[in-house]
Amino acid sequence: MEHLAIDEEWTVRFSQLAPGLLLFARQWLPSKADAEDVVQEAFVRFWRRNHDLNNPENIGAREPIRSRAYLYAAVRSIALDFLRRDSRRARRESTVVAESDSTVQPKFAIEDESQRTLAAALDGLPREQREVLVMKIWNDLTFAEIGSALGISQNTAASRYRYALAALKKNLPPQ
Amino acid sequence: MNDFSELEARLRGLRPIAPSEDLIARIERALAEATNCRAPAAAGAGQRWQWPWRVSKTLYRVGFGVAAAAATAAAVLLIYARLDIDHSPKEAPSVAAVSTTPTNTASAPVAAAEFVPAAFTEVVYNTRDEGLRFPAGPDQPMRRIRYQKQETIQWRNPVTGASLRVSYPTEEISLIRAPGQ
Repeated sequence: MEHLAIDEEWTVRFSQLAPGLLLFARQWLPSKADAEDVVQEAFVRFWRRNHDLNNPENIGAREPIRSRAYLYAAVRSIALDFLRRDSRRARRESTVVAESDSTVQPKFAIEDESQRTLAAALDGLPREQREVLVMKIWNDLTFAEIGSALGISQNTAASRYRYALAALKKNLPPQ
Repeated sequence: MNDFSELEARLRGLRPIAPSEDLIARIERALAEATNCRAPAAAGAGQRWQWPWRVSKTLYRVGFGVAAAAATAAAVLLIYARLDIDHSPKEAPSVAAVSTTPTNTASAPVAAAEFVPAAFTEVVYNTRDEGLRFPAGPDQPMRRIRYQKQETIQWRNPVTGASLRVSYPTEEISLIRAPGQ
């Protein structure tokens, strides 16, 4: 494991995680490029800390739940830092980039009108509900992991998830 | 029990956009740099090449600082010693006590402070090959060699013959290109 440059294991794991991680980062950063920068920084930080996502031996006595939670917590933290810096810069430059960027760079590969409506409804959710939904649906995290990553209880994570689904169901036309 | 199962299935049908092709390559580079920077004193990727020099430079600074302080202390001690020697003849005024010593008293502090560098030795007592590193990517392997040395600097006062020696350990790490590996 000393020479990560020639170690191919992480690429397989990262390829599995990357779409969900990127979507998670884009809850705060509409730009795909910015979100990728954040994911890169978080993953490198995570890898240096744990070395291996699925091998508990590499993280000592800590449980794997916390290690996965750490990765998403890192993405969130770095994205929020980025957002703060970016908003200061945007204020200075008096430009509105985020909205147009969001429309140019969709978060999902939309296949039909039904999916377009669903994605738009998702964007309309409150952020604290949306992040739980993204972590659960597209990243397969448990409520314990979500709670650990967001610094909330498992029950609160589960409640936000249910609120999010209820809000979506209410706002979507029946199929 | 779960009346949201249909909605969850619809949500799972949405495919998040995949990351760019070069993201993995970027992370690979960052991980390689991070691995090579794991040495305790390394703070960043760009500083790695200057690390040996920085360590050595810091030790030189410490060495010269200690040497300067010691030289000052030695000069002060020498002045006091001279004054003590010179006081006794003054307290016992006799013709025999009058010698060239009093005339040297005035010039002694100046002479005592004039320490000039006399010698510098560097003894490498251990060399360790720490294997290959890839700071510039997998195609450019570099071999990391750690040298442990003892450096000694000596100053001498040509007038009084006094000498001052400072010895300290240093550690230097060099990255040497390893062609064909």
